[in-house]
Amino acid sequence: MIGRRKLFGATAGALVMSQTLQSEGVAAAAKLAPLTGPTKSYLPRGVDGRIARLASLQLESQQDFTLGFRLMHSKALRASSAAAFARVLEREGIDPQTPLSPEEVGKLVDTEPTINIASKAWLANQQVTWKTLRDHFHDNADYYLSEMEEADKSGPGTLELAPTMDVPTYARHEIHIQPGGYVGDPFAGHIYHYGTNSFYISVIGHNEQDQVHKSTAARMPLPEDGKVKRILDMGCGIGQMTVALKERFPDAEVWGIDVGGPMVRYGHMRARRLGVDVNFAQRLAEVSGFPDNYFDMVTSYIVHHELPAEITRKVIAEAHRVTRPGGVYYPVDFNSGGTKSPARMMYSRWYDHRWNNEVWSLEYHSINFTNEIAARGFQVVKNAKPALPGFGVRHTVKV
Amino acid sequence: MAAETNRPTYTVDAIPSDITNSVFLGNPALDNVMSCIIAMSAEMWATKRRMKVIESLLAKKGVTQDMIESYVPTAAETKEWEKERDRFISLAMGPLANDGFRSISATFPKR
Repeated sequence: MIGRRKLFGATAGALVMSQTLQSEGVAAAAKLAPLTGPTKSYLPRGVDGRIARLASLQLESQQDFTLGFRLMHSKALRASSAAAFARVLEREGIDPQTPLSPEEVGKLVDTEPTINIASKAWLANQQVTWKTLRDHFHDNADYYLSEMEEADKSGPGTLELAPTMDVPTYARHEIHIQPGGYVGDPFAGHIYHYGTNSFYISVIGHNEQDQVHKSTAARMPLPEDGKVKRILDMGCGIGQMTVALKERFPDAEVWGIDVGGPMVRYGHMRARRLGVDVNFAQRLAEVSGFPDNYFDMVTSYIVHHELPAEITRKVIAEAHRVTRPGGVYYPVDFNSGGTKSPARMMYSRWYDHRWNNEVWSLEYHSINFTNEIAARGFQVVKNAKPALPGFGVRHTVKV
Repeated sequence: MAAETNRPTYTVDAIPSDITNSVFLGNPALDNVMSCIIAMSAEMWATKRRMKVIESLLAKKGVTQDMIESYVPTAAETKEWEKERDRFISLAMGPLANDGFRSISATFPKR
């Protein structure tokens, strides 16, 4: 099982996409005023397959460092932390496999310096990732806002924003300690996209070219009748999974919805640059606004561990309403861990919840997500294959 | 943002995390020092990476790695670089020599 903390690698850039991005970048730069502001940047610096290179060598190098640090941390610091953990358990006479609660684990490690240096260093590195990105986009706000404003108005694809939406409190947290979270920074999408590239590297591998999303989309099971005309990606974020699904099913009508306006705005701009026709909308997953039985496939990509359990249940109910009979519902997310786990696993989960600000993750692990889906009109398919190896297998069909 | 703007941003107020209140190393000062070390390391790597770009471009113009490695600074350069080295070390490493022994509440010493 891949632990939560392990998430958050060969480039297979698509030449056509690269060319599209390249010409778009040059054309965009020609129309817009040069970058101004304290950060001296030079645009465009070209593209790397599906992703535009960051606008300054300095910024790119800072991200290179934080990615490299994560790699080092995943080996050396994790090993020293694990060794310290083992010593603590031995000292306290606790079997490493004994399930402990978050409170019990917290008391063990509160003053253990080796464990805490590893934790602190990881978070400090992540703060460097966020701060350097955020500073750059804000220092060049006029340029980046202009880019999005131009993209807002045109296709391919559509963008629906909801400036008067009453954004629920549960969605306003700074998940992953990303400043502003998904809803509070105009460049949340930009910051999330570049910042999370390093999240994958030490666990699954590279994702700069959406490798993880594309492979997950490729493994999504079809309905039994093979008909996939409409797809919904709930809580789509910047639409990496949404775009991957459209690329797999080019004739389908594909929708990505998310509560974060800046996220879908960036997602639309990115999809447009990739030449992919996707419909993005700023909407709540639990109140999607689609007709009954509308979609052949409904999915989400690591959303539910960022929702309160009560909202997860509402989202499942909504997924049931909008999925047609025989359609597939496959939300990709972590295996449900329970309220007690062996000490090291529980520490990892608790630390991620408390200090990486995954506010709802412990609540997610306290429920059995698969059972919640089964209790709401979906049939769980037996012996199903994982869409994302190491994550919960939740291939379900609306009955 | 760089300029106050009436342009739509489609944002709402976020609920901030309290990461800045955390104390992992038993003493908030140590936590702060750790943050500084990580940030400085990122800056140092960014500088080194830039040097690699510069050297790579220079190589294409005929300035090779061997030339860089075997370069002998002039007497004037040596003197200037030593001054800069000492200034850097004094700034970055000098505080190691601080000999603090007075607690915050100590009164002025007799002079």
